[in-house]
Amino acid sequence: MSHPLPRTLSWDWHPGAIPENVVYDQTAYLETSYSFLLCRSQAAAAVQIGRGTSIYLGVMFDVGPRGNVRVGDYCLLNGARIICDSEITIGDYCLISWNVVLMDTYRMPVDALKRRGELESLPSREPRRASSEFPAKPICIERNVWIGFDCCVLPGVTIGEGSIVGARSVVAEDVPPFTVVAGNPARAIRHLEPSESAGAHAPTIQQSNDSTI
Amino acid sequence: MSTKPDPQNEPKPSPRIAGRWTDGDLPPNVRLGPNTVLTAHYAFKRFFSRENDALVIGAHATMDGVHFAVGEKARVSIGDYCYFTNALLLCELEIRIGSYVVIGWNATVADTDFHPIAPAERIADAIACSPLGKGRPRPDIVRKPVMIEDDVWIGPNATILKGVRIGSGAFIEAGALVTRDVPSRARVIGNPAQVIGQVP
Repeated sequence: MSHPLPRTLSWDWHPGAIPENVVYDQTAYLETSYSFLLCRSQAAAAVQIGRGTSIYLGVMFDVGPRGNVRVGDYCLLNGARIICDSEITIGDYCLISWNVVLMDTYRMPVDALKRRGELESLPSREPRRASSEFPAKPICIERNVWIGFDCCVLPGVTIGEGSIVGARSVVAEDVPPFTVVAGNPARAIRHLEPSESAGAHAPTIQQSNDSTI
Repeated sequence: MSTKPDPQNEPKPSPRIAGRWTDGDLPPNVRLGPNTVLTAHYAFKRFFSRENDALVIGAHATMDGVHFAVGEKARVSIGDYCYFTNALLLCELEIRIGSYVVIGWNATVADTDFHPIAPAERIADAIACSPLGKGRPRPDIVRKPVMIEDDVWIGPNATILKGVRIGSGAFIEAGALVTRDVPSRARVIGNPAQVIGQVP
């Protein structure tokens, strides 16, 4: 019934392919397979990308062997680095801008002595890459969240529905729904009326494979 | 079996043992310890130092996508078993980094502000730096060495500014902007970075 999705992109500058366990809706736009260069998850559906979502240049899915990333519908990701060893969920209608780092793990033991052990074993690995075996805490970005330039979202954080994270913020704690946070570390600076988003509907878009929307 | 080593059969050091830059020949004043690997074709695009041993990296270090922007009279030293990914080191005087240091994505370490603070001097500097400023001397700019001790962890997008000493085992959270010394084993976050606890 369903067509197998293409694993290479006709407009791609990078000579790579999209891994088989990246499941994307046929209405999603993927700018380049380079975004999946660091995706080494063994999960059946390691990265899921929803309807009408755009993944632009510079987005990197740095997903460890057990990592799982889900991106909802009508999301816009532009230059984010997604470091995932457990689970990162991004809801529908999320806007995530340049140089944002979403990390569910530090990829190193917090304890200095254990970190030494890890660093000593690193040079004998091929490729030399930090292990994905360290505790990771899932990140959840709920629907309709907007994350500004250069933000970092630290392990274990949930950002509630409809919230906004100002540019260059570092989100170390959960953000309640419909809240504007900003700063480093991020603090609530304003509340948004949930009703303001009540009228948000996905526009009916004629299904099209044309990427130039 | 003879215990006497036979020089004919002695293993030759494999190329892996020596430190190497994967994308070209090292500048003559760069020294890499055994088994240290450095990637990124742009690693030395802004490496202008004329000092001897301008960049010295210890053994077993991994420098993945690191950009060494090192001025004419500047020196950088890095210890053993360090692991840096896509870090940017901006050095006009001295950056000294210990062993077992981890630096995350897009982190920046700078030992100078690059430009003067006084407005008039900044105009002079802008002219001197412009294509029309050939030969004009640039005003004096503050430089202060940065010291990062052993076992320090620096998160993604963090920035370390001039004159800072980071004590051993400190944990610099993602996105922190470090403008002052950090005590040993402290955990810091924020802009400007504040101590919020200790590493367990």
